[in-house]
Amino acid sequence: MNGPMGAPPASPFVVARGITKSFGGAEALKGVALDIRPGEVHGLVGANGAGKSTLIRILAGLVQPDAGVIEIDGRPAAIETPQRATELGMNFIHQELAFVPGMTVLQNIMLGIPKRSRFGLVDWRSIARDVAPIARRVGITAPMNATVRGLSTAENWLISICRALVRKARLIVMDEPTASLSASESEKLFAIVRDLSASGVAVLYVSHRLNEILDLCHRVTVFRDGRSVQEFDRDGLTRQALVEAIIGGRHAEEPPVRHAAAGRKVALSVLGLTRLPRVKGVSFDLHEGEVLGLGGLVGAGRTEVVRIIYGADLPDGGRMTLDGEPFAPRRPHEAVRRGLGLVPEERRTEGLVLTKSLAFNVGLANLERIVMSPALPFIRGKARANLALETIRALSIKAEGPETPVGKLSGGNQQKVVIGRWIAASPRVLILDEPTRGVDIGARAEIHRLIRGLAARGMAVLVVSSEPEELPDVCDRVFVMVEGRIVRELSGAAVTRAAIVAASYSETHQRELVQG
Amino acid sequence: MSDVTTGSRRLGPGAKKALGIFARYGTIIGLLAMIAAFSFLSPRAFPTVNNFTNVLNQASLAMIIAGGLTLAVTVGELDLSIGFAASLHGILVTGLIVHDGVPIPLAILIVVALGAAIGIVNGFIVTKMKVNSVIATLGVGTIITGAAFAYSAGVPIVAGVPEAFLQLSLGRWLFGIPNNIVIMVFILGALWLLVERTSIGQQIQAVGGNAAAARLAGINVDRIKTLGFVISGMCAALTGILLASRLGSGTTSAADSYLLTAFAAVFLGSATLRDGEFHILGTLVGALIIAFGFNGLNIFGAPTWSQYVFQGAILIIAVGLSSLGRVLAER
Repeated sequence: MNGPMGAPPASPFVVARGITKSFGGAEALKGVALDIRPGEVHGLVGANGAGKSTLIRILAGLVQPDAGVIEIDGRPAAIETPQRATELGMNFIHQELAFVPGMTVLQNIMLGIPKRSRFGLVDWRSIARDVAPIARRVGITAPMNATVRGLSTAENWLISICRALVRKARLIVMDEPTASLSASESEKLFAIVRDLSASGVAVLYVSHRLNEILDLCHRVTVFRDGRSVQEFDRDGLTRQALVEAIIGGRHAEEPPVRHAAAGRKVALSVLGLTRLPRVKGVSFDLHEGEVLGLGGLVGAGRTEVVRIIYGADLPDGGRMTLDGEPFAPRRPHEAVRRGLGLVPEERRTEGLVLTKSLAFNVGLANLERIVMSPALPFIRGKARANLALETIRALSIKAEGPETPVGKLSGGNQQKVVIGRWIAASPRVLILDEPTRGVDIGARAEIHRLIRGLAARGMAVLVVSSEPEELPDVCDRVFVMVEGRIVRELSGAAVTRAAIVAASYSETHQRELVQG
Repeated sequence: MSDVTTGSRRLGPGAKKALGIFARYGTIIGLLAMIAAFSFLSPRAFPTVNNFTNVLNQASLAMIIAGGLTLAVTVGELDLSIGFAASLHGILVTGLIVHDGVPIPLAILIVVALGAAIGIVNGFIVTKMKVNSVIATLGVGTIITGAAFAYSAGVPIVAGVPEAFLQLSLGRWLFGIPNNIVIMVFILGALWLLVERTSIGQQIQAVGGNAAAARLAGINVDRIKTLGFVISGMCAALTGILLASRLGSGTTSAADSYLLTAFAAVFLGSATLRDGEFHILGTLVGALIIAFGFNGLNIFGAPTWSQYVFQGAILIIAVGLSSLGRVLAER
C-alpha cells in the first residue's frame, strides 16, 4: 500500500497552480490554485459556475487546461486521460454514479482494473478474498455476488469508494456526495470520509452544503468566478466567512413582506383535482399578485398537480377555472395559449434546447412577439436579439450575448434563461417547479427577488419546492401536501420552515388552516 | 510510476481552432478538393460549364427529396418511406395523365397532395400511435410499394406520355438553365427560409433539439412533427414526378434508390458548418459531394459498384472525421 503516514504532512500530494481554461470564448477558469495534502479532507466550495467542476474535470483527465501547472508529489504531471489520473492515484466519484447495472457488486468494483487470472480465466474467488476486507471497511452490506441493479444510492456510493480503494487511491474526489442520500446515510458517509482521512487517503469534498463542509473539512478552498479567492484553515473557518467568500460581499435578503390573499381576484381555481394514485382531490385558489407555495416531501404529488394544471397530464376528476372561465387544457400548448407558463423541474432536459442560443431559447415562448405578422411569420432578428438582451439585463445573466449557446452557461444562468423566457411572455399564471434546485446562493436570492417582482406586477405565481427553507423566502401562502392531499394551509407569519416541515410529516388528512 | 512529462499531447489553442474549423468546414473543403482533383486529372471532360450544369441537373431530384427529408430529421424523426413513395408518385402521375386524361397541372397537384397525405399518415402513426418512426415509415413505405404494383400491375407506363410532361424535367428556362435546377433552387430556398427564418422553423428546430422542452414551452410538438413528415412527403412527390418526366415513363421502384442518396446527403450535411445538426444548406453540400463524386467516377469509367462503395465510405469518413474533430477541439 502507499505510505503517506511517513510523509511530512506539509508536503502536498496534488498542487495545481495558475490553471486557466476557456470553452469557446467563455473563461471557466481564470487562474485557480489548489493544493491537497495527504490524508486531509479538503473542502471545495463556490457558486455554480465558479469553476469547481471544470477543475475536477481537468484533474480527472477529461479536459486539458489552457495554461498552468499540476504537480503530483512535487513533480509536474500531465493528466492526458482518465486512465492516467487513476495511475497517479486520483479517483473521482460523481453525482451520477457509473455502474453496469446487470453486473455484480464485485464485478463493478473491479471494473477497469486488471484482474488476476488462473488458467486464462479471471480468478474471481481470490479477487473476492482480497476485496472483502476493503468492502467491510467501507461498510458494504450487499453480498459481493448481488447485481448492482436495485441497490440504494448510498450503497452505490460505498461501492464507488471501495473501487477507489482497490485502485489504491491516494485522493478521492467526491462531488456533492450527499445530494441524494438520507440523513442517516450521510452520517455513515461522513464516518467513512473520516476513516479514509485517518488512513492517509485525501478527500476533495465538493458540496453546496456548508454544514457538512464545516463538520468534515481540515481546509477549505473557495472558488468564485473562475478564481480561487480564499483558503481557510480549520481555525478561522466559520459559516459566515464561507458565505461571504462565496458570494463576494453581496448581502442576504430580508424576509419578504407577505401579502394577504383576501380581497384579490382569483386567477386560477382548482377544485377536487384527482389523478390516482398520486393526486387525491386537491383544491385551492390562486390569486393574482400572489406567490403561492406548494410544499411537502418528494412524492407527495406536487409535481403531478402542476402537470395536470399545465395540461401535461389529464386528470381523472375535478375541474379548474381560469379567471372564472372553465379551464381544461389537454396539452401544454393549450394551457400556454390560455396564459400559463411553466418553469419545469429539470431545466436541462425539460427547459432548454441546450445546443441553441440564449436568444433562441427565450424566443421560443415569445414567437408572436418577434415575427413580422401572424400571416407573415418571419422572425425579426433584431427583435429576437433585443428580447434576449432585455432578458440578460433584467435577470443579470452571465452570458457573452444573445447568441451564446445555453449549454455553455452555468446552472444558475440556465435557470434564469428559462425564467426569463416566461418573464418576457408575462403569462397570467406562472408555475415554477423547484426554481432554485442546484442553483448557488447568490443566484438563488436573485431568482427569489424576481419571483416576488412578478407577483408585484399582478402575476399569479405558484412555486413548488422540496426545500422547506425556500418557500418562506418567497411565498405569501403555502399549501403543504401529504400523499396526494393538501393537509395544511399556512399564511402570514405562520409560513415558516418549521411549520412546513411539521406539516409535511403530519398524518392528518383533514385540511387545517393556520394563520399567523 | 512511469515518467511524467508536461504537455506531450496537450493541444494548443491554435491546433484546437484548426480542428474546430476542420469539423465545420471539412465537408466543404473535401468537396472543393474533390472538384480540384477531378479538374486536374481530367481537365477536358470535368471542369466545363456543360458538365457542371449536367451534374447539377442530375442531382436536382436527389436534392429536392433530401431537402424534404432534412425537415423530417430536423424534427427528430426518420422518414424511410420517401423512396418508395417517390416511385409510386411517378407511376401515378403518368397513369393519371396517360390513362385518365387528367390535365398535367391537375395531375401534379393531385400527386403532391397525395405526398402530403402520406406525410399526415406517417405523422399520425408516429405521434398518436407512438410507433417508432423507423418502423412506421418502413411499414408505410412497404404498403406504398404494394399500392404501386397494384396500380401498374408491375408494367411500366411508357406509351402515350405527352411531350409537355416530358418538358417539365427536360425543358430549360431563362439562359438555358434546366428546369430541374430552377425547381430545386426554388424548393430548397423556400425550405431554407421556412426553417431558418420563420417562427415555424424555430419550432421545428426546438422540437428536434429537445422535444420535451419544446412541449413545455407551449409548442404543439405533434403538429410540428407531422409537418416535418408532410414536407418530406411533398418533396418525395415532386422528385417522383420529375423523375417520371425525365424517364418519360412511370416505372415501379424507379425512385427507390433515392432513399439512400437522400440519407447520405442529409447526414453528410449534418457534418457541415454546424455541429451535428441537420440543415438545408448542409444537405445541399452533401448532395453536391455525392453528385460530383459519382460524376468523377463516371468520367474515369469506374464500375457501378464503386459508386456504392464511394457513397458509403464518404458518408462514414465525413461524419466520422467531423465528430472526431469536434471531440478533440472540446478537450
